[in-house]
Amino acid sequence: MSQIHSHTSQALGLDVGTSRIVIARRADDDFRYESQLNAFVAIPYSKITEGVLQREKVPHTIREGQIVVHGNESEKFAGLLEAEMRRPMTAGVLDAKEPDSLSMIREILTTMFQSHRGDQKKKVCFTVPAPPLGAEGSLTYHEATLRQILTELNYEPASINEGLAIVYSELESSNYTGIGISLGGGLCNVCLAYLSVPIISFSIPKAGDYIDTNAASVTGERANRIRLTKEDSFHFNGFFADKVHQVLGVYYDDMIRSLVTALKEAFTRTSSLPKFNRPIPMVLSGGTALPPGFRDRFEKLLWEQDFPITVSDIRLAQNPLHSTAKGALVCALSDS
Amino acid sequence: MARISILEPPAIAVEQKAVQITDPVERLRFLRQEMRPHPKPRLIPKVAMRRNTWLMAAGLMALIGLAPLPTGTAETLAKERQLIVPETARPVSKPAVPRVWLVEKSDALEVYSNGLRVDLTFTVFNHPRRPFPVFSLSGGVPQGEGNAPVGIVFHTTESLLAPFDEESNRRLRTIGRGLIEVVRHDRSYHYLIDRFGRVYRVVQESDAANHSGTSVWGDSRGVYVNLNDSFLGVSFEGQTGQVDEITPAQIQAGHVLTEMLRSRYNIAAEDCVTHAQVSVNPQNMRIGEHTDWAGKFPFAQMGLPDNYSLPLASLYVFGFDYDSLFLKVTGGRWRGLDTAELWLGRQAAAEGLETRRYRAILHHRFRDIETALREKGGEANP
Repeated sequence: MSQIHSHTSQALGLDVGTSRIVIARRADDDFRYESQLNAFVAIPYSKITEGVLQREKVPHTIREGQIVVHGNESEKFAGLLEAEMRRPMTAGVLDAKEPDSLSMIREILTTMFQSHRGDQKKKVCFTVPAPPLGAEGSLTYHEATLRQILTELNYEPASINEGLAIVYSELESSNYTGIGISLGGGLCNVCLAYLSVPIISFSIPKAGDYIDTNAASVTGERANRIRLTKEDSFHFNGFFADKVHQVLGVYYDDMIRSLVTALKEAFTRTSSLPKFNRPIPMVLSGGTALPPGFRDRFEKLLWEQDFPITVSDIRLAQNPLHSTAKGALVCALSDS
Repeated sequence: MARISILEPPAIAVEQKAVQITDPVERLRFLRQEMRPHPKPRLIPKVAMRRNTWLMAAGLMALIGLAPLPTGTAETLAKERQLIVPETARPVSKPAVPRVWLVEKSDALEVYSNGLRVDLTFTVFNHPRRPFPVFSLSGGVPQGEGNAPVGIVFHTTESLLAPFDEESNRRLRTIGRGLIEVVRHDRSYHYLIDRFGRVYRVVQESDAANHSGTSVWGDSRGVYVNLNDSFLGVSFEGQTGQVDEITPAQIQAGHVLTEMLRSRYNIAAEDCVTHAQVSVNPQNMRIGEHTDWAGKFPFAQMGLPDNYSLPLASLYVFGFDYDSLFLKVTGGRWRGLDTAELWLGRQAAAEGLETRRYRAILHHRFRDIETALREKGGEANP
């Protein structure tokens, strides 16, 4: 992406993902990111623990005789105490079954936005998932809740579809025309855009968590541990050193195939698909796209299909963990 | 699938201008500004509409094809969502077409690998199936032709029923036999399943049966109008709304028959629908002229997804409507009705027209097709 000229706006981009929350902001001509795990863990209350957490500046709250640690530190505490790490969100939206989802996402966002507060109301563009393909899940509550929290934090919120954010982040060279795919924890979000206009957006509920959960059930390992293995050492090279890697390969393949099928199906069924005058690019982003060889594997499985759109190239986002937040920021800046 | 080019001269000009802007944010701002929807409603003169049916329908299709226009700001996400193309709402994972083959055949009976037994004693010919046009989903213009069955329409015979118990055995058999004679005479269906679950082939599959009348269904390939040639008719001896509408034996028989037909013709699950879903009345432009299986069709037990959730092409392609009486018969609103209404509203909004006005244009579209089919010698209203 070519260099962005200076913008005086104090706008922010916010990627609210199932597993991570990322804030993007401009600093001179560069982009800066801060991220926190979108998770929390409850540990028994003790004065000593509370004192230690305060001293170490670990974000936490005291609730009903428990200390709730949220954000990045929650993973460490979950590991230390062998406690279950909980998440405010599932499948891309606030988890209706998690009683503390609202309060915890509020805490995490409040902590993250603390350092950005000022007297002036800032614009923040936050990501929301697209409706799932083949279902009519309501996203209204999720979006309205985030909007409310951000308004309370004295921001001027606007929302953007996750897949579209990828297009805005990565496809400037094609005039924001192409397919953006965000492979996150809960969902894979897809958006086909033409000259910045979203034409089709949808999501599928198979993503990182699907791989972790299923691999965990087959291997008998904890999902958390599977996720760490996946992030640390998994790669696509046709050879798997152990069972966990082999199982991860199976579920990765399953997820990619589902995504490719959904892409083909959605684009084939679309009656008002634009006729592009040239092949269009496709960008893969998100933590689930990180393993080495992922792009090649995806490309291979996509080419096996009779794909209805001519794709010029399939590329990995420059910074897969931050591109959604960056796209949201670019959107906020262009709104300013 | 008809594709609409949105690379019209203005779009190309916008693209060329955008390339000259080096700052990505400025470029995005420019594009979003330029690609905002045109606020001016584009009305279609009524007289011109009548003058050249297909041409105007194509024009309308082009306008609808332009529907996914930009909304400009992220604030208008709700509006962006309206751009999600309707077809994506259909299920991704569909039940696979089962593999069923003919095991044995005699003059009176066919036996299939899934246990289906078809009684051929009463089979008759009607007229051979004619090639049928497939209309585009977006504009109702013909985009191809088919000649093999693409779907199944499920019916009930709406005939006299005796209590289903041992004491009524004789009466049940007498009524069933009489029913076969009637449907055979009228060439009403391809298959009839009596209350004991016996499957009779009535009209040869190579021929059209008079089962669907004026009717509409749409799938991913397009829209079919008047389904006698394009769909097979399967009827259950029964009456809508009766307690124990059909018997367990009929459900079992319906399941294996559906499997066999889907296997033989590679029929998609989304094309296995009920008569109430496809039947339309052009006199009052309402759906549900026939209401058999307006509710409670055991889709799951037939190995099918809940096809009541599929949007009705009659509503969003041709602007048909429904009344409270129809909703009463369905015994609960189908999700497909809501989806179709939603799409219709979106299309109208994209055209800058009131839904009422847009619906009227769609009505013309249907009437023109109906007239064209009649002139071509098809069944406009059999």
